[in-house]
Amino acid sequence: MFPRAFHYHRAGSLKEAATMLSQLGPEAKLLAGGQSLIPLMKLRFAGPPHLVDLNFIPGAAYVKQDAGGLRVGALTCHADIEDSPAAAAIPILHDCAAGIADVQIRNRGTIGGSLAEADPSGDWAPVLLTLNADVRCLGPKGERTVPISKFVVDAYTSALGEDELIIEVLIQAPPKSSGGAYIAFKRSAPVYASASAAVRLAMEDGVCRDAAIVLGAVGLTPVRALEAEAALRNNQVTAKTMEAAAEAARAAADPQPDMRGSAEYKRQLVTALVKRGLEVALKRARGEKVELSHIYA
Amino acid sequence: MADQDKSNGQKRWVGQRVPRKEEGRLLRGQGKFIDDIKLREMLYLAFVRSPYAHARVVNVNTSAAEALPGVAAVLTGREVESLTSPFIEIGPDQCQKIADYPMAGSKARFQGEPVAAVVAESPRLAEDAAELVQVDYDPLPAVTDAEQAEKNESILHENAGTNVVWRGVFEYGDVEKAFREAASVVEIDRLHFHRFSSTPLEPNVIIAQWDNKDGRLYYWCNNSFPSFAIQFLAPHLRIHIDQIRVQTFDIGGSFGIKITNYTQMAVCALASRKCGGRPVKWVETRTEHMLSSAHGNERTFLNTRVALDKNGVITAIDSRHIDDCGAYPRYEPLGCVIWSQVFPGVYRFRNAKIDFTQVVTNKCPVGPNRGYSRMQHLWFLERICDICAHELKIPADEMRLRNYIRPEEMPYTTPNGCVYDSGNYPKMLEVGKKLIGWDEWKRKQAEARKDGRLIGIGIGTTLDSGTNNFGQSQIINPYAPFSGNSQGANVKLDIYGEIVVAVGSCPQGQGHETTAAQIVADLLNVTPDLITVRTGFDTERNVHTGFSGTYASQFAVSGLSAVHGAAQKLKKEMLRLAAFTLNAKEDELELGIGAQGPEVRVRGTERSIPYGGLANIVNVNSAVMPEELHEITLNCRYIWRAPFKVPDKAKKYGNLTLTYASQLHIAVLEVDRDTYVPRILDYVAVDDCGTVINPPIVEGQVYGATAHGIGAALMEGCFYDEVGNMLTSTFSDYTPITSVNMPNVKFGDIQTPSPHSFNGAKGMGEGGAAPIHTLSAALQDALFDKGIIIDDSFNNGDRVYHLMQQAGKGKKPARVKPRAVPA
Ligand SMILES: Cc1cc2nc3c(=O)[nH]c(=O)nc-3n(C[C@H](O)[C@H](O)[C@H](O)COP(=O)(O)OP(=O)(O)OC[C@H]3O[C@@H](n4cnc5c(N)ncnc54)[C@H](O)[C@@H]3O)c2cc1C
Repeated sequence: MFPRAFHYHRAGSLKEAATMLSQLGPEAKLLAGGQSLIPLMKLRFAGPPHLVDLNFIPGAAYVKQDAGGLRVGALTCHADIEDSPAAAAIPILHDCAAGIADVQIRNRGTIGGSLAEADPSGDWAPVLLTLNADVRCLGPKGERTVPISKFVVDAYTSALGEDELIIEVLIQAPPKSSGGAYIAFKRSAPVYASASAAVRLAMEDGVCRDAAIVLGAVGLTPVRALEAEAALRNNQVTAKTMEAAAEAARAAADPQPDMRGSAEYKRQLVTALVKRGLEVALKRARGEKVELSHIYA
Repeated sequence: MADQDKSNGQKRWVGQRVPRKEEGRLLRGQGKFIDDIKLREMLYLAFVRSPYAHARVVNVNTSAAEALPGVAAVLTGREVESLTSPFIEIGPDQCQKIADYPMAGSKARFQGEPVAAVVAESPRLAEDAAELVQVDYDPLPAVTDAEQAEKNESILHENAGTNVVWRGVFEYGDVEKAFREAASVVEIDRLHFHRFSSTPLEPNVIIAQWDNKDGRLYYWCNNSFPSFAIQFLAPHLRIHIDQIRVQTFDIGGSFGIKITNYTQMAVCALASRKCGGRPVKWVETRTEHMLSSAHGNERTFLNTRVALDKNGVITAIDSRHIDDCGAYPRYEPLGCVIWSQVFPGVYRFRNAKIDFTQVVTNKCPVGPNRGYSRMQHLWFLERICDICAHELKIPADEMRLRNYIRPEEMPYTTPNGCVYDSGNYPKMLEVGKKLIGWDEWKRKQAEARKDGRLIGIGIGTTLDSGTNNFGQSQIINPYAPFSGNSQGANVKLDIYGEIVVAVGSCPQGQGHETTAAQIVADLLNVTPDLITVRTGFDTERNVHTGFSGTYASQFAVSGLSAVHGAAQKLKKEMLRLAAFTLNAKEDELELGIGAQGPEVRVRGTERSIPYGGLANIVNVNSAVMPEELHEITLNCRYIWRAPFKVPDKAKKYGNLTLTYASQLHIAVLEVDRDTYVPRILDYVAVDDCGTVINPPIVEGQVYGATAHGIGAALMEGCFYDEVGNMLTSTFSDYTPITSVNMPNVKFGDIQTPSPHSFNGAKGMGEGGAAPIHTLSAALQDALFDKGIIIDDSFNNGDRVYHLMQQAGKGKKPARVKPRAVPA
């Protein structure tokens, strides 16, 4: 379990990291928390000749609230988001951060690394999709902001250019009387989800004005369950409409069979997860405080 | 802490909650594990492994690897074949034609089988070089299913000409008569016990040095049955067994899996020799461990018929079993007989016919995994009892009571001649039911059913047979030169009065240092902390026999009997010498702790000699000893031998194990209506291992075995795809159980002392895989009404989902055929 030899470069700033990337060429890799990259290198599935370490860049890890919304630095680890009072205002962020793998991985793995990795089973992308988050990217030519829906391109493929990096994730506070929830089924703690569901409901006078339902781990990228959303939009959220949404989500899922579950079982999980997610989101939209944790086998 | 023994005022340590002597060291990170050992000039080994489950090795090109600076040598499978003899095969006939080498020469037979080994100056370089070894393969059809393997369409070992390793029929009583007279017959088409393993914290680690200065082969390793390993290694490497020195230290878990790392021990030795005698270290990675160390046996039970009388008492069983031992038999085919130590389980039936076959498949070879070979059979029997109870509508607890061997029948001779030493299964059931609140759960279950909730309550009753009679190997192979069982120990009084115990075991968390100290403390009337126990194997200590190691639930019997015997010898010598020095009769003497520490004194007087004084005389002051005392050494070696006979090979009859600890577990579970995950709501583990020497150690073993079993039942499996790719070679895929998945376990115990051991204790620790039987039964209880038969030992949410989807479709896998009861 030793990686192949590589050259180590320590970036002093985000800008320097971008410059290093363009100088070192497309085979160079950024190193954030190392929780995806290092295992791949140790298994020798990956062998980048150059690593650009982002961990010593000052001020790249933060969660702060300002007029523009919630700003999360790319190098912020999952555990810091889990513990952040600013992020606590958006409970779905806590659902996600607190449920990623185990505490060791949460202490090192970062939101930027997770989005860049674009693992089909990664937890952040489905959650951020329900929040219409923006990803701020920096390259030698400057900065650009990519909406999350455009950021995740394919399995393990993001919209990042070869010499670009993520610097920040921008999250607009969801409107009042809306609620979100994220719930996954995991066979054990340090394992990616078999299936997951991120949901957001915007309620008005007991009627759902807007809904977002995004499924994780059941497609090459997060799956937006549009018909499931439609089943709720402009309807009252009742057991019946939730059931209809969950069934529509099942149909939207496109899972692959693997050790995390057969395709049919993952579809079944999707229905269960969407239902539970909606129940919690509805309560949260009503202002109730609900703690949510993933379902473990 | 210790009780006062009324008879002589002695404190008794056996039975007390003595804190583990090894705890401080292990918890402070001060344990000594093999990877902590760094030797001068040490090299590191990495394996090149076959990506194919079955392939001809056409060519191995090592030149690029050898050219890499820092690489000392590359060893190929072909080279190993030319330098060594195949490992011993335990089985008869066609088994003897299997050529088992530690690396694949011309053919790889499972994914992950080593094909070459690279030795380099650092572990990283070794891995770099391993990537440079080019192997050309010619893939062959892989066989991953036992029933398929039996058809011999693709043969693993051409010399043997068949994939069948062993076949034999175990038949006792009058089976056909019992079926003729049965009130009902239950038929079960197919039951399947899945393949899983153990996941010790520490994988296999070996350092070997074939020292060219003295020609000896030194091992520092974590093999858990070294006396067996050296018996395999010496003829393989074509050296004298005494040339080999094996030392083990702390071991981070084995569960039996480390017994078969002798294959990698061989490669490390050859690598060291090739490198001029430099020490070679190999540290297995987790992936290698999952892929290629050893797995537990997988077993399929076909065409089972069960005869029952009108009261639901099982009178006969007829079934065909196929065991899958992976690519090489290695410790097998011992598993083809080991299960018969518990032939009838805890039940009274006297007529049975089991047609047993073992086959090789293109999967990782099996090794004796906790509960080895017996748990598969016990699960089979538990499924039978449980399915029959449901089919005949007899309550689960009632069914057990009607079928259990009765306490008054103990010691009980089973149909195949095994002697169950003691036990009280009805009492365990009573304790278990009380702990779980049986009636209350039954009530809640009935209520929940009304809401459509699926709650099940299940019982599993099992045996943990310990201290094997190796004579059972002769039932497999009449020419096998093994029988009986023994263990060695040495207790000495050293020059300054130190009491030092050495024993041929290699504990991996079983607390041998503590329990051995308790035994000796009682005999020599001192406190356990005054006793030093040297565990860990060392051939040079000369306290091992050919059976020494730590496996198969036996230390409390074999290990402690040896320690006890040696300590008794020492005590006798001490008394004899003290009688001389104190000028008293031996029966006037007593042992105890005086003002200056442990001493022998003349009862009721001030006349005494400290233990150190006795040791002084023997070791450095011997001129004061009269000649008739010269045989006293105060360094006493004792070999304990189990009172076994060679079994009757033709009849497959005889006592195969000395003690039978028993376990009774009860689980309440609910099938989640959305995720179909069987959720444990309540769990009880009742244990009976006879006289308990150290309660926390026993409880620790019970909790550990319970976790292992729950993991196996609900989460863990070694699964392969149809071409033999292992799908669970990482923890992310294998998902070993963690505390997140563990229920609270309520522990209960009863103690029926064994008449077969010197102190009433029974071997324990394997635990009979009780949770697997129990959770299968609980799930059966939850789902029987849906027309579902639990026919597999692995049941996660996914599987339960599929069972429920398929319920009612196709032929029912189990059926009752009522019979006209003869007048
Ligand atoms: C056992 C285990 C279980 C896990 N379970 C889960 C889980 O359940 N859910 C989940 O979501 N995740 C899980 N993870 C992954 C974890 O969340 C990682 O933290 C995450 O995938 C990657 O983040 P990182 O900071 O560790 O990135 P790294 O591993 O350092 O990098 C990952 C990739 O992203 C690139 N990269 C890193 N930072 C940036 C950046 N700022 N800009 C551009 N590219 C960048 C790297 O070059 C690399 O290609 C698990 C990981 C392990 C080891």
